[in-house]
Amino acid sequence: MPTNEVIHGLGLDDYKFGFVTDSEPVFRARPGLDADIVRQIAARKNEPEWMLERRLKALAIYESKPMPKWGGDLSELEETLAQTYFYAKPHEQMERSWEDVPENIKLTFERLGIPEAERKILAGVGAQYDSEMVYHSLKEEWEAKGVIFDSIEDGLRNHPELFRRHFGTVIPAADNKFAALNSAVWSGGSFVYIPPGVHLETPLQAYFRVNQERLGQFERTLIIADEGSRAHYIEGCTAPVYSTDSFHSGVIEIVVNPGAYFRYTTIQNWSNNMYNLVTQRALVHEGAHMEWLDGNLGSKLTMKYPSCYLMGEGAHGEILSIAYAGDGQHQDTGGKVIHVAPRTTSSIVSKSISKGTGRASYRGLCKVYDGAARARSNVECDALLINETSRTDTFPYIEIDERSATVGHEATVSKVGDEQLFYLMSRGLDEAEAMALIVRGFIEPIAKELPLEYAVELNRLIDLEMEGSVG
Amino acid sequence: MSWVRVATADEVPSGSLLSVQTDQGNVVLARVDDDIYALEDRCSHQEYPLSDGLIEHDEVECPYHGARFDVRTGRAVQLPAITPVRSFEVEVRDGDVYIRLG
Amino acid sequence: MSGGIAVGGGARVAEVGEVAAVGRGGEPSWLRARRDDAWELYEATPFPSTRSEEWRYTDIERLLPLGDLERSAIGPNWSGELPERLRRVLASDGEGAGRVVEMDGRVVSARLDPGVAAAGVALSSLADAACSADPVVRELLGTQAVPASDGKFPALNAALWSDGVFVHVPPGVKVELPIRLSRWVSRPEAPTFTRVLIVAEERSNIAFEDEILSPDFESGTLVSTAVEIFARRGARVRYVSLQRMGRRGCHLANQRTVAERDSSVDTLNVALGGSVDRVDLNARLVGPGASSEMLGLYFGEDGQHFDFNTSQDHMAPHAHSDLLYKGALDGRARGIFRGIIRVHEGAQRTDAYQTNRNLLLSDHAVATSLPNLEIEADDVRCSHGATVGQLDSEAIFYLMSRGLERGQAERLVVRGFLGEVLSRLGPGVVADKVMRTIEAKLVR
Repeated sequence: MPTNEVIHGLGLDDYKFGFVTDSEPVFRARPGLDADIVRQIAARKNEPEWMLERRLKALAIYESKPMPKWGGDLSELEETLAQTYFYAKPHEQMERSWEDVPENIKLTFERLGIPEAERKILAGVGAQYDSEMVYHSLKEEWEAKGVIFDSIEDGLRNHPELFRRHFGTVIPAADNKFAALNSAVWSGGSFVYIPPGVHLETPLQAYFRVNQERLGQFERTLIIADEGSRAHYIEGCTAPVYSTDSFHSGVIEIVVNPGAYFRYTTIQNWSNNMYNLVTQRALVHEGAHMEWLDGNLGSKLTMKYPSCYLMGEGAHGEILSIAYAGDGQHQDTGGKVIHVAPRTTSSIVSKSISKGTGRASYRGLCKVYDGAARARSNVECDALLINETSRTDTFPYIEIDERSATVGHEATVSKVGDEQLFYLMSRGLDEAEAMALIVRGFIEPIAKELPLEYAVELNRLIDLEMEGSVG
Repeated sequence: MSWVRVATADEVPSGSLLSVQTDQGNVVLARVDDDIYALEDRCSHQEYPLSDGLIEHDEVECPYHGARFDVRTGRAVQLPAITPVRSFEVEVRDGDVYIRLG
Repeated sequence: MSGGIAVGGGARVAEVGEVAAVGRGGEPSWLRARRDDAWELYEATPFPSTRSEEWRYTDIERLLPLGDLERSAIGPNWSGELPERLRRVLASDGEGAGRVVEMDGRVVSARLDPGVAAAGVALSSLADAACSADPVVRELLGTQAVPASDGKFPALNAALWSDGVFVHVPPGVKVELPIRLSRWVSRPEAPTFTRVLIVAEERSNIAFEDEILSPDFESGTLVSTAVEIFARRGARVRYVSLQRMGRRGCHLANQRTVAERDSSVDTLNVALGGSVDRVDLNARLVGPGASSEMLGLYFGEDGQHFDFNTSQDHMAPHAHSDLLYKGALDGRARGIFRGIIRVHEGAQRTDAYQTNRNLLLSDHAVATSLPNLEIEADDVRCSHGATVGQLDSEAIFYLMSRGLERGQAERLVVRGFLGEVLSRLGPGVVADKVMRTIEAKLVR
């Protein structure tokens, strides 16, 4: 069927990152999880006592919470987790120069195009390999302006007060089972601070690579964008294809102080054996602006709903979500906006494509508290179905306690229309080209939001695959 | 406004929470040092009972999503809770706990 | 928790059955067995808690403590005059194809237009029909549409129902005017359980209007209704539920419509009175070409709590469903709409829509909307939309610029907002009654 061929031609089903690197961790905890493993992780990181206490409490919360019954199929996850390595340290220390990163690990990131992108268009790069960052670097000009871009461990070590003031306040361990798990075993991730008024002109990037089989990756990121600052942070992730399932559960906490602008972009392209259960939340203060640009292309199951708590007057939150669910994949994604203060505004735009036996689910929340006068929110969801076996769902929650709020939600589900195809073919395109054009047009509003240079440099991003598909 | 006896002071040992029924809904009792406090037993986030949770220092933590409330005032001090829960005046007389229903 | 009804429950199920069957020669054994099974299910089913998704926003234990209800689910036979308010309603309803009056869960009269009766249409008390061994009742009562296994309240209703209405329309018979059921509930703090079973055979037409009225109560008083509607091939059924109870009235409705090939089942649920109204409506489109229009309208004030839980199950191809629920919420009222369109595997060419719109008229009203889609077929056209907003200030300013007082202008805008639902229904007694009630609420 031309339809499938064309979608295939877009490159979405063609996983190019499934290679394995031959590397041995310098330390690996035994598989499975208990308090002893948590203590080992904390000891390896030489953490203060309070953090170990937090970890142990989080472990107890994790163990007490039932496995979620909603969202994706987690029935085999328990079994996977029993076999999972919760901590594998790839290298003795984190390096500031690629020259010092072990050769085979460095080659891996070169294959992924990271150092090249760093040279050309990024303000800073963090590279995580299995459980820890192996490389972290920020261009000097930004360092001189007081920007902090470090591994999360260095954040705790070098900025203990700032760290402790915010860590776990945006997403408490008990928020959900997987936030609790992350809070118990977190390792790697970034600590970012943008000082007042500093405008970062090029993006920061963190790249997450899982290499070990049966590894669980639990990065933790804490970002504080101080008053009037501007920055863009990009996260990418890939993993080898194994016959066993892997697990990734990150927690991203962001504080956007008054008047600041922060954009967080995710291009999630895990291999199809990855459970990806992530909690991302931003606190958005007065007049601040937060954008989540969330691209979910890979994984076996993703459950991820980036959220904005609009705490200060005039705060704005935006979530652009794009999901591609190919054969056997379930993307359970969406976004949450919580309006607490007056004149806060938000928008969620979600686009999904389900192909083969893929299933794309939108799950979202728009909540307006009493007192958030004149809050406005708009949600639009579009789902495109390619095959008879494809599935899609839409589960929005709209809870409005404020009379003067204006809230709208709309969703449509459609199949690629014969009329559209026919029209384009009457204009001289063959069926394959017409289909490609329709699919690209469908995704375009989001794809165009990606920084082009970045896309070009990484050259395997979704956007690029779309561009190169016709003809 | 009326004072209602809801428990004996012994039933609220330090560090534990006790849920009691009143005609204005369930109320959770908590002891901090020698004082007993009373909050509406319904988290302002998703209306789960706070009495399923725990008390740490002077904060009650909802186990369902980690929201925390100041046990003295009912003020929300940790996301995902935004709004306070109702708090009630408490008096201990002759070993019995009375709360004042508004 | 459910003390009043749970205490000595087994014995009381028998009691309800026996009392209901007095003068009817006793209940048949199959019905008795159904009641017993339902009671067992009721006892085995946990009470709905806000921890479950479907009851997340309606803490029914808090809103209606069943334990506080009077024990008996069935009261004495109604004697004496009908209440003034009910008489007025009956008088103003005008001409219909039939009229049933139900007092405290027991049918006191069921009258059918002679011409309609001559065409073979059956209209009777449900208890009468069950006791007279009507085979259709035995086949369909609580078996396929609203079985006891549906949940705590369907089980309770199936165990304790005292009466209700049975309508059976033979093949090809088209009844033009509606059959009206007027229910009156007067026993304070008592539970009443009643049912409606409508079976429209092939190519028949029927319209049924189901109104619930009561005085104000001092404390919670329950009416549980189970409504089962079957539209056979090519049949057309229209069902309206109009709840205008007094204060502290609590209505729990379980409705399911089953639409076979090329049939249509259209419903309208109106909630204006009472303190709590929870409607579970499931529209099943089981045959190709079936269609369902589902309308809803609610106007809440004070602390009224309305919760609509709807589902559109597309189980066959080429079926169509279109839902529109609109509500205005004033005072401390709370409106909840949870709706789902489920397109099952193989239901290609489904055309399904769902819209919920809410108007908040006060600073303390709360609207919650959860319009869901679950799609397992690819060749479909489905969409849903939900909005929450306040009165359109531009429209009000415009009307004021044309000389209207602010209050008048606001009332006009609210009327226009809710009027969309009634205009889809078309003119008639229901639309008039609803508009009058809304007007009265607006003036207050």
